[in-house]
Amino acid sequence: MFFKLVLRNGSRSRKENGLFFASLLVSIVAFYIILSLSHQDVMLFLKKMESDAVDKLLLVIPAFYGLTLCILFFLIYYASKFQLERRRHEFGVYLMMGMCRSRLFGMLLAEDLSTSLAALLIGLPVAVLLSEMISLITARVVGLGIIGHQVSFSFQAVLWTAGGFLLIKLAAFLVLSGRIARQEIGSLLVDTPEGTKRQLPAAVYALAFSAGVLCLGNAYYRAITGIAWISIKKMAFTLTLGVAGTLLLFFGLRFVMNLFAGSGKMHGKLSVFNFRQIQETVIRRSSTLAVSSLLILAALCCFGAGAAIACYYGQSETRVLDYTFKEDENSIDIRDALIRNHLDSRFSHLIEIRQGHIRTTEDYDHALEMDSVMDALEQLPQSEGRENLRNNFAYMSYPALISLSGYNELLSAAGLSCLELQKNEAAVYMDQDIVTDEMTGIMNQVLETKPAVQLDGQDFYLKGRVQTTSIVTDRAITLSFALILTDEVFDWFTQGDYSVYLSGILNPSVTEHTSLLNAISQVNEELDEAGISYESYLQNMGRQLFYVVAASYITIYLAVIFLIIANTIIGVQFLMGQQKSGKRYRTLVRLGATYETLCRSAGKQINWYFGIPTAVAVISSLFGVRALFTVLLSSDLRGKTAELLWISAAMILLLAVIEWIYMAAVKKSSSRYLLTLLEPEREE
Amino acid sequence: MENILEIESLRKYYGKPQNQTKALDGISFQVMPGEFLGIMGSSGSGKSTLLNCIATVIRPTSGNIIMQGTRVQKLRGGRLAEYRGKKIGYLFQNFELLDNLTARENILLPLSLHDVPEAESRERLGQLAEYLEITDVFDKFPAQMSGGQKQRVAAARSLILKPEIILADEPTGALDSRNARTLMEKLSGLNREENATILMVTHDSNAASYCKRILFIQDGVIFHELRRNLPEESRQEFYGRILNVMAQLGGGSANVL
Repeated sequence: MFFKLVLRNGSRSRKENGLFFASLLVSIVAFYIILSLSHQDVMLFLKKMESDAVDKLLLVIPAFYGLTLCILFFLIYYASKFQLERRRHEFGVYLMMGMCRSRLFGMLLAEDLSTSLAALLIGLPVAVLLSEMISLITARVVGLGIIGHQVSFSFQAVLWTAGGFLLIKLAAFLVLSGRIARQEIGSLLVDTPEGTKRQLPAAVYALAFSAGVLCLGNAYYRAITGIAWISIKKMAFTLTLGVAGTLLLFFGLRFVMNLFAGSGKMHGKLSVFNFRQIQETVIRRSSTLAVSSLLILAALCCFGAGAAIACYYGQSETRVLDYTFKEDENSIDIRDALIRNHLDSRFSHLIEIRQGHIRTTEDYDHALEMDSVMDALEQLPQSEGRENLRNNFAYMSYPALISLSGYNELLSAAGLSCLELQKNEAAVYMDQDIVTDEMTGIMNQVLETKPAVQLDGQDFYLKGRVQTTSIVTDRAITLSFALILTDEVFDWFTQGDYSVYLSGILNPSVTEHTSLLNAISQVNEELDEAGISYESYLQNMGRQLFYVVAASYITIYLAVIFLIIANTIIGVQFLMGQQKSGKRYRTLVRLGATYETLCRSAGKQINWYFGIPTAVAVISSLFGVRALFTVLLSSDLRGKTAELLWISAAMILLLAVIEWIYMAAVKKSSSRYLLTLLEPEREE
Repeated sequence: MENILEIESLRKYYGKPQNQTKALDGISFQVMPGEFLGIMGSSGSGKSTLLNCIATVIRPTSGNIIMQGTRVQKLRGGRLAEYRGKKIGYLFQNFELLDNLTARENILLPLSLHDVPEAESRERLGQLAEYLEITDVFDKFPAQMSGGQKQRVAAARSLILKPEIILADEPTGALDSRNARTLMEKLSGLNREENATILMVTHDSNAASYCKRILFIQDGVIFHELRRNLPEESRQEFYGRILNVMAQLGGGSANVL
């Protein structure tokens, strides 16, 4: 009998509060996916190349896990509290009938466990399946191919997920049931009405509302202008302003609603009733609504930050070279070694680029004089890029030199037009890894004036535009500034003391039937076998991939958790509130309201109830996400407003879809509840 | 004269055949326009079941409820809602005001439910408020009103759409004697002056003495009927006759009919 009761009560509460149960499922899935991240194909692949970064990421994950456990604890506590409160009367009856408190406690614990186990039993298989799918899809999308797929199932992740989940469920349960168990039977049996909240003078709310708007406005301003990012203190102050502003805004919202109520501009079926219902919840639950709104904002900011990071690292420089072999004294060896190992056929081009320094003088401080360039910079309007260039050039007295023939070969391989230089001309090379597009743009403006520079006392005119096609495939050498000189001049200045970078471009036949990633991996193996040391484009791709994957995983994970919590709080709160005001709906039925009218009325309330916090969050996110973009993105990407607008639009669209799903779910259970009200009940 | 409401051998049984409770066991009567009919009976006699059947809150087992020629049980959807909203006005024992709406909003609620423009009822709202003496609580919430005020606001709500008949379920049940008297005076005034038809269920003999006719119900059947001889019989005298019947009702042995 005891177990029958437990099982029946458990399934009843799952049915009654399906939304909460679904949120538990989603959180289990999220837990498992983030915990099994190290088993995903992409991560296994990246571990080979970026093991340090991957290890660091995996170290951070337990912290995220712990943090989300804490946040989820509050969600579970909150939702369970409503559930238990609703059953007070039932508990009172059990106790009246002579059930001892320990047995009641045991029963509730067993019920809670049955719900938790049901959630785990459904959630974990879904999580494992989903994680497997994500692993396969990401592997396919980044071009790893699915042949090397490893099952991402992680027993450890399952244990941690189940353990963490049960732990917070149990903790919430203990706190709540302790409270219920201590109460007198009498107070359990009597329905305690929520009571009307004490009303403060209208001026207080008006003040709170305007203070909220001011705080938020100030926080927005600080975020956008970048004041917030100057120091941790300023950031903390801005965040405090934002949080306080949101809380005050919601607290003061009743002032606006009262104004609206007084205006008498409400027409349409049950509009007054709907308005009063919404007003009541706004008054009773202003802080919860504010917190939900802040959580939605946090989720949006997570999406924004993730998109920005992915965008920043995902913007691959134009790929020209696939391999770079550094040749020192034994330069002949690499070409020979490639031929010996029949690897030369793998490459369509082998380009030799010579790079060295001035050896004709030992006056390293004045080997290069760039006064005219500095003057030209001075003429340009003040900007961050200009200052950076001026700082760089102030110390640029001993530049690297690149020979023209090799660089032209590279340009033609990249499909660009070759440089034509006279003996007394030089072209400027800047590595894109170091220099931003803004700086390149400014430098190009300077170059338009054809400034003259002195190289070891000789005049050279800087010609053409800044060259950014990288001379190596990854980071064998990074030059913030170099001069490209004709071979003859290069030979004279370097006095035969230079390094040679032999770079290869893969033969199209190698990449024909497989992804670039696979092709490079394959050639890497062959080169490793032949004992040739090299640098491949794979590192470059791997690094980008790592940041994109890490950023998207973590931000999506956090965003999903925040969204779940916010929406579940809003949804559960609405449904509980609706059940508390069930009597009102019954009255409406008696006054002649049809089922459709009631559903439409509840639907409108749900729209507003979700809409208000979401709207505030979206407005705040316009500023928050923009601030994140400003900080996280390089200046050149910042300029691409159209692209960022698309990202933001996609984000808001995604949010709209998620909110729509939640709203539809809440509407469905609200309608189901309203239907029960239409059934006549015997009152006597 | 055409009757407004006709009840034909109405039955309502609860439970399974072997263990059945016969809340209503074949009740028939008619309500004429402008009548103030009381239904009396002890607790469990079936009087609330009768009212709930008429209000379509519960479905009778058999029999007919005919409102102005329409069989009420046949009504569905929009027409049923219209019946609940416009044909009948329901006055509850515990007022059933929405506690988050002001008095005015509560009274106007049926209008917004049945898409009646507010302007149409503005005059009626004013008259009712003045008559029921609730003008000064118009912008107050139920929590800020006395029981009597609440019930009078509820009465205004049930009257705002000019229903054919007012169904009152123990309207004085939750009121003190002074407020109860005020309410009954107002109701009987409406009956007299506006010719409003009222069907009231009560077990309060004092409240019942305001009626023109009283049906006594016991164990689901009509057990007795009293008619007030107007104008010669005073309310006090009628009250005496009611008490007499009530005394016999308690015993349940003697059937006066």
